[in-house]
Amino acid sequence: MIRMLLRVLGPEYAKPVRRTVALMTITAIAEGLSYALLVPVLRALFGGDPGGAWPWLAAFGGAVAVFAVLRYLSDLSGFRVGTSLLLGMYHRLGDHLARLPIGWYSAARVGEVSVLASRGVLDAMGVAAHLLAPFVSACVTPLTIVAVLLALNWQLGLAALVAAPIVAAIQIWTGRSMAAHDAERHERDHEAAGRVIEYLQAQPVLRAGGRTHERFEMLDDSLREVQRASRRTLLSALPGTVGLTLAVQAMFTVVLVLGTHLALGGHIGVAEVLAILVLAARCADPLLSLSDIGGKLRGARSELARLDAVLRTEPLPEPRDPVEPEGHALEFDAVTFRHGDRVVLDGVSLSVPEGRRLAVVGPSGAGKSTLLRLLARFHDVDAGAVRVGGADVREIETGELMSRIAIVFQDVYLFDGTIEENVRLGRPGASVAEVRAAASAAGLDDVVERLPGGWAANVGEGGALLSGGERQRVSIARALLKDAPIVLLDEVTSALDPVNEAAVHAGIERLLAGRTVVLVAHRLRTVRNADRIVFLEGGRVVEEGGHDELLRRGGRYAEFWRLATTPG
Amino acid sequence: MTATDLAEARAVSTPAAAEAPPSAARLLRPFAGSFAAVVVLQVIGAVAGLAPLLAVVELGRTLLSPGPIDHGHVWFVVLAGAAGLLVRLLFTAASAGIGHLVDDQVQLSLRRALAARLGRVPLGWLSRRRTGELAKVVGDDVSAVHPFVAHAPGELVAAFVVPLVSLVYLFTVDWRLTLITLIPVVLAVALVPLMMTPARRREQEEFDAAMGRIANSVVEFVQGIAVVKAFGGAGRAHRRFLTAADDFGRVFFRWVRGLSEVAAGMQLALSPPFVLLVVLIGGTVLITTGGLAAPDLLPFLLLGLGLTAPVAALGHGFDDLQAARRAVGRIRDVLAVPSLPEPVRPASPRGQRVELRDVRFAYESGHEVLRGIDLVLEPGTVTALAGPSGSGKSTVVQLLPRFFDPTHGSVTLGGVDLRELGSRELYRRVSFVFQDTVLLRASVGDNIALSAPNAGLDDVVRAARLANVHERILELPRGYHSVIGEDAVLSGGEAQRISLARALLADAAVLVLDEATAFADPQTEQAVRRTLKALKGERTVLVIAHRLETIADADTVVVLEDGTVAERGSPAELLARGGKFAAFWQSHRRGEFR
Repeated sequence: MIRMLLRVLGPEYAKPVRRTVALMTITAIAEGLSYALLVPVLRALFGGDPGGAWPWLAAFGGAVAVFAVLRYLSDLSGFRVGTSLLLGMYHRLGDHLARLPIGWYSAARVGEVSVLASRGVLDAMGVAAHLLAPFVSACVTPLTIVAVLLALNWQLGLAALVAAPIVAAIQIWTGRSMAAHDAERHERDHEAAGRVIEYLQAQPVLRAGGRTHERFEMLDDSLREVQRASRRTLLSALPGTVGLTLAVQAMFTVVLVLGTHLALGGHIGVAEVLAILVLAARCADPLLSLSDIGGKLRGARSELARLDAVLRTEPLPEPRDPVEPEGHALEFDAVTFRHGDRVVLDGVSLSVPEGRRLAVVGPSGAGKSTLLRLLARFHDVDAGAVRVGGADVREIETGELMSRIAIVFQDVYLFDGTIEENVRLGRPGASVAEVRAAASAAGLDDVVERLPGGWAANVGEGGALLSGGERQRVSIARALLKDAPIVLLDEVTSALDPVNEAAVHAGIERLLAGRTVVLVAHRLRTVRNADRIVFLEGGRVVEEGGHDELLRRGGRYAEFWRLATTPG
Repeated sequence: MTATDLAEARAVSTPAAAEAPPSAARLLRPFAGSFAAVVVLQVIGAVAGLAPLLAVVELGRTLLSPGPIDHGHVWFVVLAGAAGLLVRLLFTAASAGIGHLVDDQVQLSLRRALAARLGRVPLGWLSRRRTGELAKVVGDDVSAVHPFVAHAPGELVAAFVVPLVSLVYLFTVDWRLTLITLIPVVLAVALVPLMMTPARRREQEEFDAAMGRIANSVVEFVQGIAVVKAFGGAGRAHRRFLTAADDFGRVFFRWVRGLSEVAAGMQLALSPPFVLLVVLIGGTVLITTGGLAAPDLLPFLLLGLGLTAPVAALGHGFDDLQAARRAVGRIRDVLAVPSLPEPVRPASPRGQRVELRDVRFAYESGHEVLRGIDLVLEPGTVTALAGPSGSGKSTVVQLLPRFFDPTHGSVTLGGVDLRELGSRELYRRVSFVFQDTVLLRASVGDNIALSAPNAGLDDVVRAARLANVHERILELPRGYHSVIGEDAVLSGGEAQRISLARALLADAAVLVLDEATAFADPQTEQAVRRTLKALKGERTVLVIAHRLETIADADTVVVLEDGTVAERGSPAELLARGGKFAAFWQSHRRGEFR
């Protein structure tokens, strides 16, 4: 666990962690050793010389004081290390997430990573602050006590020592078997969560069909699966917990029986036996808490494993000797791109001369948006090359590449802030006048007028207070403000309403003027005036040419055009 | 703080009992017997756990007593101690086992209750919430109740009963030493107020706030990363996140630092070495002054440590219980959402004329989205809704399938207010296709038949044909039996055509449609157009129009602006009138985009 932690975070944390563990170990040993002083105290008290107990009691008091100081120091050190590990993890994760390609962030990922980065990090890092000290103490204190017992009486000490390997073996075995069950449970939970989301999203349809949850078996089945998995986990945990308790109690029983036997035979003083039994009782309690701590450690460990998996995802490599692109021509050279097993783009070659417009048309799922994403290097190609200004995008420094491209996405994310702040994101250094001009050009004036608070109105998390069309305009304003030579436009048609689309179109028109443009079109009418149109289907360019030329050819594009324009 | 909070936490489920929906308390009632068994077994087990300690005490008394030792008695005592251990093992294991099994059942029934409730809440309520968060209530929050159900009853009761039994026993042995033994507990409790000083409270609040900030900034960082990276501003959100993290680290450490001395004091007071030290000092004083027989010290050495258990139990697992309490709160909130009231005596509509009379609606009070809409949808006609975004179009169409009820005015179908229609009846008569298409992980056929479970394959195929998706379905590996997500991945447009087929199959008299659905691809666009055409004269259609042709072909066009009807009439009338619609029409005629 610790090793994993250090591997994830890097060796610079090894030293403080090791120091803290050492301190905790010393504290636990001090606690165990302090109990040794009980023996002379009890010998004096039970041996008919109560006054003789005082010096030993004073020594015990001193030992307790030492233990108290050590414990305070080790707790503090635990918290300090815990905090620095936590911060280290946040920084490591933050840096890493910032470097991961945008393509990595699917919708499901975003949800998972949000939870992982907030709750998961705390759970995983809580180990050093909260779990380490009890764990070390639960292991080391009993061992120290056993050592004391061995020194006092080898038979009884040996009897107690036998328990150690058994307890250790049970701990390890339980850990292994539980890990598998935990994983299965996690899987079931995940599955059920998916069904619940489906059930919620499909509510309108389900209700129309008169399906309440009782009749929606898919959900109920998965809820029952969760229960079954949980029961299996419980059954697999039971032997470990019972076994541990049994082993510890058997140890105590053996010490009790053996001690009684030795005392009755006169082989050992009564005071010693009683002191040893008090010590043995001290040994048992921490050991019994081990199964509890073990469960928590496993939970933290699985979070850590998930963090590790994210941190091990490779970001796109940065070029060692970055190339400066010349001009803004775009080129796809025999590009193949796979997503999982699916070939999204299959040997696509295209070029867009500087200052020209390319429109991409095709059925949904043909890979249109992927073309845009590859240009902006959200992903790297599997074969071939994508070039901007003659340079392979992999050879261009990321910041440099991004500074040349403005993208209008299909789904627009707005930060919880004002409209002005959200537009300014396009060019953080822009003046107020520039921001306003871009916003006006994108038709945002109406929106600002409508919102209480105007420019200073908050748009809510993710821009929830704006409609889809309004968010789209913010995105266009951003792109306008950025004023980049290359524009990638993933047309969002749903957001455009006919009465107002003229205004937005004027904004888009301004955005496109004089730039190199790749435009993914869903409504064919908007592609007519592009310099060139490509028809993409099944990841291949099946037709390419001007609008009239393609219509004349009577192929797929012409068919699409006919579908879109003639009444059904 | 701890005790009262706990009491509150345990009582948390009771107030809901008075309300109509099944509350958490009522859901737990069937398990009362099992809970009782858990508690009883746990108490027996825990008290039996005292047996070995008492055996050591008795052993000490016998061995230390002057005169010959009764071997039989000694072995009997040892045997009793060992037996106690065995009883403890069996009973606590049984208690924990039953507790966890009950927990599983409680979780299942809570989840079922939540699912049932969510199946009845107003659709509008659902549409304004994030499904992810609701799914979290059903999933994680119900799981978080685990310590509440599986651990709290048994372990908390044991943590209080055992010390109580020990305390009574110790008092019978020597009341003075008992009081001395309680000193560490008193010390620890006395330190509690020091943890609640204004400064500590402030630090605690700061800590909570910093924690909230870090959670927010991480969500924002991750969700907005595409935008942030695309605009080269990755540094900003990244910095914001790291600042929140550093801030959190600082506040956390200050909080811990502030608490550390008091906490260390408490921990020391409760630690076994300290308790033993106190007992031994007190014991030695009492023995040397002759008030206490030496063997009587033993029970204090062995049982005295257990007296700290309640205090420790309150600290231990307190975070879990707090989290469980918050989770129960969220579960209760969902269970308490009132469903759309069902009429006691559902009326049956006559005809299919839809009428909106002076309809006003506000999502939040004071901010009206619809401000007095009057609208009639004559049977068999197509009405096109147009207007700028934010004008209230989506809200109007959502009133028909009763996602919301109007805050003022009424929506009637066949002369009957929608609120007086049973929901089954309503959805039989009103079907709708909105943009957010949901396909279930089920066969394509089932997905289409979802709105009409009794439909035969012929009907399904007919609907799929009309929705332009039949041929695509036949191309799938198992045709209509292909399971979506397993055998087949459908594109956005195909999914929307399936959802269109669904609405067509429902065969409702009124169809509400958002035309934006159509723009996924030309096939979908054609399907929507075909549908509108085929249904004209047959069904009452209300469509949010995005295409000029749709508006031109509609029987009535309604232009919404700022929550009111700005213009209405047939397309020809509106053109002749020369208003907003006419102006827009002209601008479009002159040139499409560019």
